Amino acid sequence: MALSTYIDAITSALAEEMRRDERVFILGEDVGVMGGVFKATKGLQEEFGAERVMDTPLAEGVIISSAIGAAMQGLRPVPEIQFSDFVTPAMDAITQQAAKLRYRSAGSQTCPMTVRICYGGGVGGGLYHSQTNTTWFIHEPGLVVLAPGTVYDAKGLLKSAIRDDNPVIFFEHKKLYRSIKEEIPDEDFTVPIGKAAVRREGKHLTAISYGYTLQLTLQAAEKMKDKGVEVEVVDLRTLSPLDKDTILQSVSKTNRCVIIHEDHRTLGVGAEISAIIAEEAFDCLDAPIMRVTAPDVPAIPFSAPLEKFYMPSVEKIITAFDRILEY
Amino acid sequence: MATKTKERASAAPQEAPAPTKSPKVQGNGATPLPEDLLKRLYGYMLKCRTVEEKARTLFKQGRFAGNYYAAVGQEATEVGCTIDLKPEDTIAPAHRDFIANIMKGTPLNLMFAQLYARKTSPDQGRSSPAHCGYAPLNVITPASTIAAQLNIGVGVALAYKMKKQDNVCVALSGDGSTSLGFWHEALNFAGVQKLPIVFVVQNNMWAESVSVKLQTAVEDLSVKAQAYGFPGITVDGNDVVAVYRVAQEAIHRARIGDGPTLIEAKTYRWYGHSEIDPAKYRSPEEVEYWKSKDPIPAMERYLAKHNMWSDKFKEDLLTKINQEIEEAVQFAENSPYPEPEEALDHVYSFSIRDRELNRKAWTCSTPSPASSK
Repeated sequence: MALSTYIDAITSALAEEMRRDERVFILGEDVGVMGGVFKATKGLQEEFGAERVMDTPLAEGVIISSAIGAAMQGLRPVPEIQFSDFVTPAMDAITQQAAKLRYRSAGSQTCPMTVRICYGGGVGGGLYHSQTNTTWFIHEPGLVVLAPGTVYDAKGLLKSAIRDDNPVIFFEHKKLYRSIKEEIPDEDFTVPIGKAAVRREGKHLTAISYGYTLQLTLQAAEKMKDKGVEVEVVDLRTLSPLDKDTILQSVSKTNRCVIIHEDHRTLGVGAEISAIIAEEAFDCLDAPIMRVTAPDVPAIPFSAPLEKFYMPSVEKIITAFDRILEY
Repeated sequence: MATKTKERASAAPQEAPAPTKSPKVQGNGATPLPEDLLKRLYGYMLKCRTVEEKARTLFKQGRFAGNYYAAVGQEATEVGCTIDLKPEDTIAPAHRDFIANIMKGTPLNLMFAQLYARKTSPDQGRSSPAHCGYAPLNVITPASTIAAQLNIGVGVALAYKMKKQDNVCVALSGDGSTSLGFWHEALNFAGVQKLPIVFVVQNNMWAESVSVKLQTAVEDLSVKAQAYGFPGITVDGNDVVAVYRVAQEAIHRARIGDGPTLIEAKTYRWYGHSEIDPAKYRSPEEVEYWKSKDPIPAMERYLAKHNMWSDKFKEDLLTKINQEIEEAVQFAENSPYPEPEEALDHVYSFSIRDRELNRKAWTCSTPSPASSK
């Protein structure tokens, strides 16, 4: 076991997968000589060379598209999108090509690749360095969407993604990069795709989250203990396809549900989870489902009080818990 | 090869080399092509034309649904730049390149099953008619999105380079695609990495209803290669020998690691953007002018001039082609449609059928502690 940050877990997962499988290569802006703007690929070009850790032109569309083509020819590309805010030039490549290639060719042509996207706010990044945008990709069947909220999962899920035969969108929260540390095994391990994790067992209500807001949710759940409330915390980890069984199992036990995410409210993953619960476990509910999310504004405003208003927080989550318990 | 942005390559029929046994240099600096190759170029054009006219007829008869996007008139370009590719080479086609499958060797049965959206087609009835791909011979299944195939083709070429294979990718696009940022991203990255890819722009002068004059302010699209550091050349896209010569040089350069080439082939589609487009935006004179430049009779005249022609040669070819087409139509019409639930397949490497079809009904497993307060 060794103490690791979230970003070190990502770097070591990349290095270990590249050592294990020579088909794995990295491409993107600033990933090579610089080692990435957040240093997620630090030291990798020194070890694996400029071809397998490739600095590309500043053009997200061709970064993702060329990864698709290389994957079709049997390689395992791991392209990086520096900020989720800048993924839009690659949207045709991701949604029209990667998500649909297997489908439109009836499984005869596929593009197993792992698109690493750095996302999330709470770091004073402003409108164009803080966006989440996970929802866009959850809405595209054909894509696997992952968003680890722990150090262990950051490493284990990234390894699973690289070994997976589907195009995977892997969301890394920039605020988690250096703010959490965990002891993780030295030996090789993976985390299954498509399985949510119950991070904390409880019987009074279910709190569902992922990524950075998972950490806030766990803090809020801990504080509820003082009030005698046991919160069950479900970490989605895989945002698409959703692990409905774990969600519904938990809600059928607690009969109350709060969903917490950093993406906008309207049609966010919370809306989908609410609909699933309403359709498939309506009888289990003793209270309305509540959501703690970012408001429906275009992006995270820069000024500190504005950003604070935008972001979910431990206090906002506790308020939602209290309201739903009082219903 | 120097950048030949203003050069117009043309060999037949106007500048046809004189027939000779000795391979001495002709007026255009080229030795004549072997008889067998010239006849195969012709035969492929005839096959492509016959297949597409049959497809148009079948569509008009209502024997398959959807639409069809004919490249009739552009056969010299399609054939000249894709003949004799290796099975391992990739074609990245656009929506109008159904016949690129013929050039790669996709069985005609499967191509017609694709038009008919049957279970037996390479995509099992998923893509629109004419959007035919074939994985075993590396024809990328086309999308209707414009220029995206070039960028994917760049990735294919990147993999060839990384794996040190001498395969190439021929990426097809039209004049309209050159207006998209995506088109430029593809050429730029291919230039930076010196990738084994040949970009062929089939400039048929019309992107659906919009003239190429409204797509670009340049006369020859090939000049755009200058911006990306590799050669660009404009060729008479109705002259199959000229297209072949230019494409062969480009493919050779790609195979030996000399990087990409941009080929602009000036040609013309005889019909509308699709079978439901009467193409009234074009003048009848323009259409007639280009029909007079039909690449197939031009090649017949070229072969005749070089004593390689007989009417029986064409009759034999057509007999064989029509027989193959009839078999393919029969195969398609006798093939089953996919089962409705197959719409749920091939989303992921794992099945989602159970998830979609068999929903569980959850009931309360424990009384709520909160409500029992």
